[in-house]
Amino acid sequence: MEFEAVIGLEIHAELNCATKMFCDCPNRPGDEPNVNTCPTCLWFPGAIPRFSQEALEKASLLCLGLGAELQPRSAFDQKVYYYPDLPKGFQLSQAHLPLSRGGGIEITDESGKPKRLRIHHIHMEEDVAKLVHEMEGRLPISLVDFNRAGSPLVEIVTEPDFRTPYEAMEFLRALRTQVRSVGSSDCSMENGTMRVDANISIRPRGTDQMNTKVEVKNMNSIRHVGDAIAYEISRQSAAVQAGETVILHTRLWDPEKKVTLPMRAKFEGPCVPDPAVPVIELSHDWIEKMRSRLPEMPAVKAERFVKQYGLTNEEAMFLNSDGEVAGYFEALVGQGIAPRTAMHWLTTQLVPAVRERKLELGNSRVTPARLAVLLKMLAQNEINANAARDVLAHLIDSDESPEAIVTARGFRQVSDAATLDALIDRVLSEQPAALADLRNGQGKAMGFLIGQVMQASGGKANPKIIRELLAKKLGALS
Amino acid sequence: MKDSVFVYRNTEAAAGGGLLKDLRIAIQPNISAAGWPTEAGSNALVNFKALEDATIVQRLRQAGGYICGSTRMSEFGFGLQDSSAGEALRQKEADLELVLDLMGESRLAAQRASVCGFKPSYGLISRLGLIGLIPSMECCGVLSGSLRNIRDILKAVAGPDELDFSLPNEGTPDFSTQKVDPKKTTIGLITEALADLPAGQEKMFRASVDDLKKAGFSLRELSLPDFSLFSLVHKIAGSVEASSCAGRYDSVRYGQRAAGAKNWNDMYLLSRGAAFGLLLKGYLLQGAFFQFERYNAYEDACRIRARLLNDMQRLTSQADFLVLPLVDHDPSGTPASLADTYAQFTSTIFASVTGQPALYLPPAPGAAHSGFQLAGPRLSDGRLLALGEYLLNMRRGGK
Repeated sequence: MEFEAVIGLEIHAELNCATKMFCDCPNRPGDEPNVNTCPTCLWFPGAIPRFSQEALEKASLLCLGLGAELQPRSAFDQKVYYYPDLPKGFQLSQAHLPLSRGGGIEITDESGKPKRLRIHHIHMEEDVAKLVHEMEGRLPISLVDFNRAGSPLVEIVTEPDFRTPYEAMEFLRALRTQVRSVGSSDCSMENGTMRVDANISIRPRGTDQMNTKVEVKNMNSIRHVGDAIAYEISRQSAAVQAGETVILHTRLWDPEKKVTLPMRAKFEGPCVPDPAVPVIELSHDWIEKMRSRLPEMPAVKAERFVKQYGLTNEEAMFLNSDGEVAGYFEALVGQGIAPRTAMHWLTTQLVPAVRERKLELGNSRVTPARLAVLLKMLAQNEINANAARDVLAHLIDSDESPEAIVTARGFRQVSDAATLDALIDRVLSEQPAALADLRNGQGKAMGFLIGQVMQASGGKANPKIIRELLAKKLGALS
Repeated sequence: MKDSVFVYRNTEAAAGGGLLKDLRIAIQPNISAAGWPTEAGSNALVNFKALEDATIVQRLRQAGGYICGSTRMSEFGFGLQDSSAGEALRQKEADLELVLDLMGESRLAAQRASVCGFKPSYGLISRLGLIGLIPSMECCGVLSGSLRNIRDILKAVAGPDELDFSLPNEGTPDFSTQKVDPKKTTIGLITEALADLPAGQEKMFRASVDDLKKAGFSLRELSLPDFSLFSLVHKIAGSVEASSCAGRYDSVRYGQRAAGAKNWNDMYLLSRGAAFGLLLKGYLLQGAFFQFERYNAYEDACRIRARLLNDMQRLTSQADFLVLPLVDHDPSGTPASLADTYAQFTSTIFASVTGQPALYLPPAPGAAHSGFQLAGPRLSDGRLLALGEYLLNMRRGGK
């Protein structure tokens, strides 16, 4: 029997707010353990949660950015469960009345067709504390760090529209791009600001039945999500074919062994409305005010890049997969650089170089203005492309101007015909075989000879002029 | 020797003037006063000292009130067993007592101490720093022999608190002296509230109500057929809230940690098991049962609560105030079970479910009845206290 998977995702995104969701403690989970705490986020007796306006705004922008409909009325509940990372016994979460409903993301599926993957709802909730397991000598100890307790989260719950690991991964990439572009969350699975649980079941292909699902947790990258789903589909398919029954439970992805392992029975605690947090009522005007704060969304911007800058769809989508890169591109074009040149240098040179140094484009030394000066020198043949790449490396690592780097390090291109003529003569005398090949019509030899002249010039010669001079000289020789 | 009134006495001298100057106010140890033992009558909070003042304590102090100590209380204020509420007034150790009111504790304690007991509208007083159990129903009640003192306390503490966002933005009632005109005031009597009165009690209650009629008030019999459901709703919804909220009193970060745990899961479970007293444990388990096994019943209770709220609003639109009996079914004993505890509060519990203000007025000396409750619509607190003052004044021969 052929099976197909039915997959739904639950994505937790940590909002990049200055404070926690229900108190004024800094929202910096990575600080020294337990420094960002107060009676409220430690849930001491008598403390009362005070809901953060910033969390509401960032969560609302995120919802609107994903095409969801903000609900005029939403409320927090006490989601009752106990674990040492939640010693107060309940988590404040919007179980009954979520912040938004609907929304979705369009991806291109494996067959190249567009597919819309729907979002069921998005709700807000507080994060729990972090458990740290260590050894004190030979004694295993477990510690609780409350810095993360109360950090603002949204949970994005999708419809079970996904059929393949590829669709899940594409969805997550697009989701990350869109959420980053509205500025509500960093959405980094590696840093824990985006966490994904996948609910997976299988059914005979072509049927519409919904079978018992298995929840998979502990994936630290989008690639892991794909791998875990693929593994789980094949595990469940084999189990069903062997006559076993799939039972509702939670499994953990083991990235080392590349398998999912059973963790516990899936627990759904009850939810009790919490009167300590007021009901959130959003007026039409407020929602529209939030909508007006939305930036141009990546898909819309990509469409504009195609029309305005003559880029291909793929180029435009690529630039817009990172809002910072798209913004940089436009700033570079604004400095008078041709769009295609800007796109090429940005995506093939600057971004890889910056990432290699583990820097962010936005705070690297290479501002669009500095890169534009460099690219204009290239366009005006003051330097060649090789030299431009070297200058770029210096721009990333120092504050010197492109002109100063070019002058100080002798990158300026040699275009003087007499100097180049002498170099060409020397190369031709040293490479009689290549010269003979060229005369015999072997075009490849031209490239070789140009390369030799470039080498002889220490990389500074203008290759375009070398080609012209070489062609002229060969014409005269023949 | 055990202090018969206070579990903690303030040894600092009174200071400053203001509206509440010279007033000695006793609180319970579930109302946070920075540095004071704040154990809320429970092993779960043994040795816990409040980190900061509750908003109510802060405002009382700012208005010149002297917080003279904290009194013995039932576990988390649920019921009146082991509570000394009213004792500080009886022994003239305080002029006012603050008592957290979960289902009528402040009115019942006032009746036992023969003083006035007032439960304000829900949401009128900040709950920041109150260590509670049923957040959608509880509020801080006030006991005193003087309604003027109660009015002054409300003046000082009622109103918005930027640290308690749950207070609805509905404005603060007028607590200044208000004129009461009996000829323009209708008082409603809920027939069904008399249904379970012991023999003879209804007659006495009706006699006390006749006094209102003689004073010129219009009396009107009103019907609320589901009056008996107030207790049922409280039992289910209240216990569910309590069960969820009590999770935070974990006896690990404070309170007594149980010994002998094998691991930290064990430690939490054992500590919780050892922390709560039998009565409260039963209440929390009842709430857990409804949460995990009968969630539909909890949802039904919430729906019925909304309906009862509408019913009560209908009644308070037909009369300016309501008058109800207050019957103490167990004036001296300690209730042995949850059912007995609830039975004590059948006549007061309505105000916790609806959030409306309610006032217990003791009988005039020598009267043959045991006083009655007056209730009004939400945020009619100022008018309700004015009515009470008018009635007390009338007894003294004034107008």
